[in-house]
Amino acid sequence: MKQIIILTVNNKVYEIAVAPNRTLTQVLREDLNLTGTKEGCGIGDCGACAVIMDGRPVNSCLVLAVQANGSDITTIEGIAEREKLHPVQQAFVEHGAIQCGFCTSGMIISAKSLLDKKPKPSELEIREAISGNLCRCTGYQKIVEAIMDASQKMKK
Amino acid sequence: MPAVKEIDRIDALEKVLGATLYAGDMYIEGMLYGVIVRSTRPHATISKINIKEAQYLEGVVKILSCNDIPGKKEFGIIKKDQSLLAEKKVRYVGEPVLVVVAETERLARKAAELIQIEYDDIISIHDPFTSEKAPVLIHGSGNLLSHRTVLKGDVQKGFRQSDVIVEHTYRTTWLDHAFLETEAGIGYMDNTGKLVILTSTQNVHYKRKEISRILGLPEENIRVIQATTGGGFGGKLDMTVECYVALAVYHTKKPVMIRFTREESFLSDTKRHPLYIEYKTGARRDGKIQAVEVNIIGDTGPYISYGETVCLRAAIHATGPYEVPNVHVDSRMFYTNNPISGAMRGFGVPQIAFAHESQMDEIAYALKLDPLHVRMINGLKKGSRTATSQILEASAGYIETLKRLEPYWQGRKKLKGRGFGLGSMFYGIGNTGITNPSYAHLSIAENGKIALHTGVCEIGQGSDTVLLQILCESLGVDDKNVELIRGDTDTSKDAGSTSASRQTYISGMAIYNASIKMREFLDKEEYYKGRGLKDIFLTYKEKGVPVFEGFFDPPTTALDPETSEGKPYATYAFATHMTEVEVDEITGYTKVLKVYAAHDVGKAINVRNIKGQVYGGIAMGIGFALMEEFRPGETHSLDAYYIPTSMDMPDVEVFIIEDEEPTGPFGAKGVGEPALIPQAASIVNAIKDAVDVRPFELPCHIERLKGLIESKTSK
Repeated sequence: MKQIIILTVNNKVYEIAVAPNRTLTQVLREDLNLTGTKEGCGIGDCGACAVIMDGRPVNSCLVLAVQANGSDITTIEGIAEREKLHPVQQAFVEHGAIQCGFCTSGMIISAKSLLDKKPKPSELEIREAISGNLCRCTGYQKIVEAIMDASQKMKK
Repeated sequence: MPAVKEIDRIDALEKVLGATLYAGDMYIEGMLYGVIVRSTRPHATISKINIKEAQYLEGVVKILSCNDIPGKKEFGIIKKDQSLLAEKKVRYVGEPVLVVVAETERLARKAAELIQIEYDDIISIHDPFTSEKAPVLIHGSGNLLSHRTVLKGDVQKGFRQSDVIVEHTYRTTWLDHAFLETEAGIGYMDNTGKLVILTSTQNVHYKRKEISRILGLPEENIRVIQATTGGGFGGKLDMTVECYVALAVYHTKKPVMIRFTREESFLSDTKRHPLYIEYKTGARRDGKIQAVEVNIIGDTGPYISYGETVCLRAAIHATGPYEVPNVHVDSRMFYTNNPISGAMRGFGVPQIAFAHESQMDEIAYALKLDPLHVRMINGLKKGSRTATSQILEASAGYIETLKRLEPYWQGRKKLKGRGFGLGSMFYGIGNTGITNPSYAHLSIAENGKIALHTGVCEIGQGSDTVLLQILCESLGVDDKNVELIRGDTDTSKDAGSTSASRQTYISGMAIYNASIKMREFLDKEEYYKGRGLKDIFLTYKEKGVPVFEGFFDPPTTALDPETSEGKPYATYAFATHMTEVEVDEITGYTKVLKVYAAHDVGKAINVRNIKGQVYGGIAMGIGFALMEEFRPGETHSLDAYYIPTSMDMPDVEVFIIEDEEPTGPFGAKGVGEPALIPQAASIVNAIKDAVDVRPFELPCHIERLKGLIESKTSK
């Protein structure tokens, strides 16, 4: 009962046979070996599995792979351009906006997605944009600072 | 000025790329998956297990029970009291009974659901107050796990000398660690026949010991490697998946992975102990505390885990960072059939800080004194005698934390619906009154780098980076010339657990100790005159490259069993937080607006890491104060267990105070738990300041605070 779907992931096109009950998280992690996308809850509470799908951030655990058929998806592995870190990634390193790192992929996805749409967000807008991404280690402060800094640097 | 050159976190680059592999990300060709079948009853004997349907499901490889355990059947981090797989009796909902091993995870879960276990229920105990006199014994030995006392002076005399006595009862509830990465591990047999387990853990050497006992194999035949760990907070100290993975690999001879769903994590993870605290404080008119009498009752669940540790640590810290001449603390932990409570960031001290800081403010209100002043005149300082009669010889910067916040406190402007609160704490670094050594060793690797071997587990707090900094500074080398080899029982000696805020201080010192020896060697080999490490390596390649061992065990003493007199810790961290809140009197919603946090860390090794710890501790403290509540049988997801989001966080200013600890590396102590401990207390005191009601029970969520405000106005 598998279905053939076509996904564009990080600019590469994949044709995959998937069972209809499998989530996008599972297909990314298990079939495409893109384990940077994490699963923290499996029911859309934590945001660790966030990816950009057709320009919007989504919790990939809430998307069935078959629903994503034909979509353009960016995962954490597709954020850096060749050897160069995305400014958000660079700012996360410089600010030490990482502790255990399990939420980091989803955070960066949400941040990039925000800055793509709104290059100069306010602090509140940043906080809103990552409010679906839970972090238990950092208290969010350095993450917010890093995103602010990245937005400053991207303006130049 | 930081003592040590600061570097970026060494794990940051891999993590921002999404390239870091956690245990649950790993894959080995042909691997199997394990799922644990758990008790659905709080207290029962198992009458029948029917695995037939599950057994014959295609793809199910093995179903393991207690009869399949080749070695000892019990485990436990302090005492071996917990069955790996229940034999006849279960004592809490979630207790492991069987392990299903199957070709896929989905199949293993499906099979687990098909297994039928029949139980004969036993009367279960859910309240520590009825536990003591209950006719049912959870274990043969009675339902009181532990009773500790702290005695100093004469409390009755102290109360007679007091002009004011304040007496209140405080309650807290279960909290879950809610690390973002749930428990996970993978195991396999390597080509030498050694059983290898990669796991999300805070202590590899302890895990190896447990696996060795359970399998009846010598420790040399087992290797435990720490996988990158997505948060711990005390919840990955106890055995989580390791022995089950090991047992499954042992029987199937194939690689096996076990990873918990969030629901399984909530069900099995040890919780923060709910404490009931009766607290009586007597003070003179000038604010000087004369006596403190505390009675603590805790619910530890059915197994020990860290129950005794929490019982004792809460008792020792019950007076807070104050010099109290007359003290009587009773602390008792009772068994119940509730979830197992264990280690969670602070081991009982965040709970007791909520009580002692509420009391300090109540004393100040009763005497019409400034709460900061009352703290200042009672605060521990160099030369003070603690409740366990330990004289503080050095690194006691508590008063400095108050002084640093004093300008903000005096300059506070109270707007309607808003309030300010203080919360202070002290925290003993390392394990309580027992030896807790750390070993490390150094050598030169073939690639011409300094090889740093340590058993320390990095759980996100930043120990890898800090330990590397300590080494580089003491050895006079650049971090690019060092290879960190850590968290692997095959390549390092035991560094003890990553817990009790101990790794910077204790393992940092072990590394410092090793580097002093290596420095002498490198000097002799003219490294500091420009000779390369590779060259030195080649000189010694044939006869063996020397290894430099480092060791540190903080000087502590065992405590008197009746009075707890003694030196439980070699050093203490001190902190004060000042918090501003806004309370909506209609809804009962509390918004934390601003936190000023002052921490005596001894000496800062990595300022960004310290700030990260403090911000994270504040977040966890906000959760503890206002929203987190694990309800047994009801909390299954993060949808029902609220942890703070980016929208709940205030603006935070961190002040680092450096009162150097002479026995620590470059003077450093620890900050991991201190970051959290005073936060809930400062919020509670700010709520009182804002709306003139005092919460005596946490969390002080919307409904609870609304109720308190309504009962005040109806009076």
